[in-house]
Amino acid sequence: MLIKKGAEADIYLVEWYGRQAISKVRKRKQYMHDMLDREIRMKRTLHEAEMINIAKRAGVTTPLLYFVDPNNAEIVMQYIEGELARDLIYQGFNVGWIARMMGIYTARLHARDIVHGDLTTSNFIVYNYGTDDSTLVLIDFGLSFYSSRLEDKAVDIRLIKEVMSSAHADVFNDAFNNFVQGYSSVVGSEYTARVLRKVKEIEQRGRYARVV
Amino acid sequence: MTLCLGIESTAHTFSCSVVDERSILSDVRSIYKPPEGSGIHPREASRHHAEESSNVLREALDTAKVSIRDADAIAYSAGPGLGPCLRVGAVVARCIASYHAKPLVPVNHAVGHIELGIRLTNARDPLVLLVSGGHCMLLLFSNRRWRVIGETLDITPGQLLDQFGRALGFASPCGARIEELAAKKSSKYIRLPYTVKGNDVSYSGLLTAAKKALSSNSVEDVCYSLQETAFAMLTEATERALAFSRKDELLVVGGVAANKRLANMLNTICDRQGARLHVVPIRYAGDCGAQIACTGLPAYKAGIMVEPSRAFVRQSWRIDATDIPWREQSIEVSS
Repeated sequence: MLIKKGAEADIYLVEWYGRQAISKVRKRKQYMHDMLDREIRMKRTLHEAEMINIAKRAGVTTPLLYFVDPNNAEIVMQYIEGELARDLIYQGFNVGWIARMMGIYTARLHARDIVHGDLTTSNFIVYNYGTDDSTLVLIDFGLSFYSSRLEDKAVDIRLIKEVMSSAHADVFNDAFNNFVQGYSSVVGSEYTARVLRKVKEIEQRGRYARVV
Repeated sequence: MTLCLGIESTAHTFSCSVVDERSILSDVRSIYKPPEGSGIHPREASRHHAEESSNVLREALDTAKVSIRDADAIAYSAGPGLGPCLRVGAVVARCIASYHAKPLVPVNHAVGHIELGIRLTNARDPLVLLVSGGHCMLLLFSNRRWRVIGETLDITPGQLLDQFGRALGFASPCGARIEELAAKKSSKYIRLPYTVKGNDVSYSGLLTAAKKALSSNSVEDVCYSLQETAFAMLTEATERALAFSRKDELLVVGGVAANKRLANMLNTICDRQGARLHVVPIRYAGDCGAQIACTGLPAYKAGIMVEPSRAFVRQSWRIDATDIPWREQSIEVSS
C-alpha cells in the first residue's frame, strides 16, 4: 500500500515475512536525464543502506534493514510507528526534548565523521511520544556521506537551522537553542563553538547576507 | 482607488510603472545592454539609468494617462542590488516625493517579484521559487515574513548561465541563448557535478566543470548538459521543500522563470506532489517597475514610509529580514 510520495522515493507499507515493513523505492525521476537519474538512485540506495547500519554503531536509533536491491533502488526496512517531529512541533508539543535529541543524534554522527545530508524535522520520527520510552528515530540517509571536514558538518547544521527558522519560525529560538545544547552535550562546547562559527561563515557567504 | 508609482533600478533594468488595486496601468522599461562577452558594469548601467530615467518616467505616466500629482505613493526599489544603479532610482524617487510632497515607500526587490507573481497568478498560499540573476531561494510565508527553506549556497542559476555564457562570448543575460543552443540538436549528456544538500543547492563546481567541458565537447552538448544538470538540481530541491511543507501550490517568479525547460521539469514534480504550478507570465518574469509598484501599494496602505532625507538603499538586504505586515498569516496544515 502506497503511504507516501516523497521527493526522494515512494514509501509503501508491506508485509515482510509476517512483519509490517516499509518498502522505499526510488522511482525514476521524470525530469532528470536518464543517465544521471540511474546513477543517483543507485548511489543513494547503497549509501542509505550502508549508513543506516553504521549510524546504529554511533548510538543513533535507525530502522532495521531487511532487504536491499540497488538495481531497482529499493530498500525494505522496519516500520516505525510514530509521529514526525515536524508534525509534533506543528501541533504545539514541547519542542525542547525533540530538538535536544536531534542535536544529540547529529553530534553522535558527526563525532564519527558521518554527515547526514538531509537533516529536516520530517526525517526524525518520534516513537511512543509522551511515554517513558519515547525514542527518536532518524531516517532517510540517502544524502549521507563520510567526511571529517568541519564545513560538511556545518552544512548539516545549517540545514536544520534553515528548516527551523522557516517552517518552525514561531518556536525557532527554543528549537535551535535546544538543538545546540544537545549537540554540545556530546561533542563539547569548544567543538560546538567551532562548528557554529563555520555555520555563520556559510550563512555569510549566502546571497545578500553581508552588508556592503 | 490608490495609485502607486513604482521605480525599479536594481541592476540592468530601469523601469517605471503605475498601478492601482485593480490593474497595472503602465510598465515601461529601458534595459542596459552590456557589450558582447561581458556582464553588467555597475557604472555604465547607472549612467544608462540616469540618462533614461526621465523618458521612462514620462512614458509610464502618459501610458497610464495620469499626472504625477494623482499618485498617492512613490515606491522605489531600495535593494538588494548594485549600489550605483539603486542610487539612481532612489534619487528619482526622492525628488518626486519631496517636490510633490508624496509618501515615499522603500521596497525590497525580491518581495516585489513575489507580490507581482501572486497578483498575476492568483496564487493563495504557495511555496515560492524565486530564481533570477540575483536570487535562488525557496520561500514559505510564516510569522509576517517570507522565510527561506532552501537556497543556493553560492551562486544563482542566473549567474551560472551568465558566467558560462560570457565564457562563450555572449553578453548578459545569456539564459535565452543557452536555452536555444541546448534545444538545437543536442541530446548528448555529459556528466557534470550534481550538488544538492538537503533543500539547498550549490552551483560553483558545476560552473567550473562546464567551462572545462567546452574544450573537449561541442557547445550545444555542454549547454544542454549544463541546463539539464542545473535545473534538475533546482527541481529536486524544490520537490523536497514541497513535500516537506505540503503546500498545494508552487509559484515560480524571477527572470529564470522564463526558461521553458525549467517550467517543464517543475511541472512533473507538481503533478507528483499534487500541487498546482503557477509561473509568472513571461512578460513580468524579469525586473520591472510593476513589481515595485505592486508591492509599494499594499506597503503604503500598511503604513510603510520613509522620509526622503532618510530614504536608504541597501546593496545587501535579505528577503527574510523584511517584515510584510500586509499579508495574512498562512495556516500550517497538520496531518
